[in-house]
Amino acid sequence: MENKEKGYFALVLHAHLPFIRHPEYDDFLEEDWYFEAMCETYLPLLDIYERLTGENTDFRVTMSLTPPLCNMMTDDLLRERFRRYYNQRLELAEKEVVRNRNTQFYEVAKMYERKFRRIRELYEDYYHGNILDGFKKFQDMGKLEIITCGATHGFLPLEIRKEAVYAQIKIAADDYKLRFGRGPRGIWLAECAYNPGDEIYLKANGIRYFFLETHGIIYGSPRPRYGVYAPVYCPSGVAAFSRDMESAHQVWSAEMGYPGDRRYREFYRDLGYDLEYDYVKPYLHQDGVRRNIGMKYYKITGKVGLNEKAPYNPGEAREMAASHAGNFMFNRERQIEHLNGFLGRKPIVVSMYDAELYGHWWYEGPDFLEFLFKKLHYDQKTVKMITPSEYLERHPDNQMIQPSMSSWGDKGYNEVWLNASNDWMYRHLHKAVERMVDMSNRFPNADGILKRALNQCAREVVLGMSSDWAFLMTVGTAKTYSTKRFIEHTNRFIGLYEQIMGNRIEERYLADIEWRDNIFSHVDYRVFSTGAQERAAAAARQ
Amino acid sequence: MTSSGQLNNKNQQPDSDYKSLPESYGNTEAALLPRDPNWMFIYWEITDNSKANLAKEHGHDIFEKARHVVRVYDVTSADSSKYFDIPIMIDARNWYINVPVGGRAYCCEVGLVLPDGRFIGIVKTNTVNLPTGRVSEVTDEKWMSVSSDFDKLLQISGVEYIGKGSGEVAKSLAQRWEMLRSVFSRAASWGVSSISSHAPAGPAPEKKFWLVADCELILYGATEPDALVTVAGRKVALNPDGTFSMRFALPDGNMDLPIKALSKDETDSRQIEIKVIRTTKNDGK
Repeated sequence: MENKEKGYFALVLHAHLPFIRHPEYDDFLEEDWYFEAMCETYLPLLDIYERLTGENTDFRVTMSLTPPLCNMMTDDLLRERFRRYYNQRLELAEKEVVRNRNTQFYEVAKMYERKFRRIRELYEDYYHGNILDGFKKFQDMGKLEIITCGATHGFLPLEIRKEAVYAQIKIAADDYKLRFGRGPRGIWLAECAYNPGDEIYLKANGIRYFFLETHGIIYGSPRPRYGVYAPVYCPSGVAAFSRDMESAHQVWSAEMGYPGDRRYREFYRDLGYDLEYDYVKPYLHQDGVRRNIGMKYYKITGKVGLNEKAPYNPGEAREMAASHAGNFMFNRERQIEHLNGFLGRKPIVVSMYDAELYGHWWYEGPDFLEFLFKKLHYDQKTVKMITPSEYLERHPDNQMIQPSMSSWGDKGYNEVWLNASNDWMYRHLHKAVERMVDMSNRFPNADGILKRALNQCAREVVLGMSSDWAFLMTVGTAKTYSTKRFIEHTNRFIGLYEQIMGNRIEERYLADIEWRDNIFSHVDYRVFSTGAQERAAAAARQ
Repeated sequence: MTSSGQLNNKNQQPDSDYKSLPESYGNTEAALLPRDPNWMFIYWEITDNSKANLAKEHGHDIFEKARHVVRVYDVTSADSSKYFDIPIMIDARNWYINVPVGGRAYCCEVGLVLPDGRFIGIVKTNTVNLPTGRVSEVTDEKWMSVSSDFDKLLQISGVEYIGKGSGEVAKSLAQRWEMLRSVFSRAASWGVSSISSHAPAGPAPEKKFWLVADCELILYGATEPDALVTVAGRKVALNPDGTFSMRFALPDGNMDLPIKALSKDETDSRQIEIKVIRTTKNDGK
């Protein structure tokens, strides 16, 4: 049995949302991003892992759970609000089952009721409100490898001070240890954005590997012997795995078009607009504006208007997901056989996706994954699922290459995060970092209120660094919100900075900000000191 | 999307922090950021004090007399004698810098060129290492492959997507991606197009001698932060400090760019009209 496989398949899901939590409001629209992802992606993934484990189906998956997401998942306020969210949805789903009896929507109404009940069961009975325990359980079993990400998904190639790069990694690694009981072995660099040399700070935090977009390795030097089908070691010894385009294309291309199949659920036809207003109003936000509420009764149907969509048939859609999983597996088998012959070495095919694509956007995506895991386990011997750590243990001998600067954004470099819509941010961001570094150097042993203020400054700086703000400004949606967030964090930093330097810290002002931006409760501001960064880099270089 | 919701009554002003960011930080300084193999972004601040000192030393009309430039040094090797100047306006406070070759280290200096050619440097940036944007020429003996194999390897690794025109994926699913991107996506939706849309990269060895060139237009300006600005009739979003900039494709022909600013109370307005003519001649070889 051992070693029969011809190559490896590593599935990498990047789960991330920016830290969105507004205690100053009772009800806040953008918090829904998190609740929707919980119901449509994070809990459904755990549901799959539970079922597969229950049936003794072996599987491997690598998932980033970014520090902002981990902080939201363990936050008491969001926990309560999430309960409110799924209970409301469940209440509506139950009403809908009654309303739709003897209609063509009965099956789909039943599906939502079943799903929201399962959400509640998983969240309350399995994980007692802490879904990180669920993920940790599968990591401890060796099925799931959880990796971290920069503290707030900071875009590292646009940082000038290395202290900022070090702080993003160090805060993330510390947060990971707190939640999962050991250090992270791998990291997802936000936006796959890599700046040559920065990996020394990964090494300094015990991180052994990260991921790159295809051309990060293809344009590396010297030429990569195995293309993207084997990891490489950076000069510092940290390994880099690179993205396979064929499997990426397979899922998302026009001609294969898995998610665009006419039998799958139509995203844009939503009950939030379809239902009678007074009936749906209790499930809308307090402003009463109709918006998507995540329950949809129609399928894509074809190229027809939204009013001509046909009713969704859950059974038919699930069969299609099974068929697509079969197709995907078949293609991986052929690809890996071919690569094995061509390379003379067992290739690793790394498929990287946003986790939220599975479920939130492609509603049947979790079904697809479940079928794929099962088929890979039972129906073939060519492909073995693997995590990067396992791969490096089996194949420690890899080529040393300096990868190229790269990202997975449009055009492959930094333009999505640096263009006319967001370039104004950087002078403010860099100034905040510079001041943060100066204060950390100046106050090596702060305590009392000064220490509290400095720690809060560190939180504000890292929150301002989230690549999400620049990204949302570029794509133009949620631009007002993202602009506001960046300005708020920067201004809060400036306010605290001025109070600290003027030796007049106002406790009330500080406490208010602590209450709003409570991410990283254990942060130590000295992570920004030049000494900390230099010592870490020096130790890692030895 | 905008935020919704009602305030917790227990709480004070939710938006107390929502004021604009500082215009300046009171230091003469500059920074350089990498954008891609051929572009960098520089921003700078020059304080009134620094300006006054320059005027004291070189004459009060120094800023009118001299050409404002960003001097771009190629600092890949220790010899920093290689540089070129890009004309700018010092009050623009930032600029996109195009460099002819990627894969090199650059550093910039904002300064003035006097009529007699002397250069007065005002402020220097950090150094930026740009990526090459192409397959390396360097091979590694221990891991070498025959070169025909390497070309095939590039193909199956996904280099085939380079130059294929961007976003077959994005195109067909454009509508859906829009929603997706707005809420969740990092750039997975752009994954396939990500290495396909920067042009003359790729394996060059089999190409003969060649030249590609193009140019774009950057328009910028500043006004009161709350003014309404239009360029060629299109409303422009101002940065919080009232500056704005836009990058246009610049095809051959004439381009008129009327820029209008209307004060917030709509009682005052200013207009500047810029006309640009581009002609491209190609020797056709």
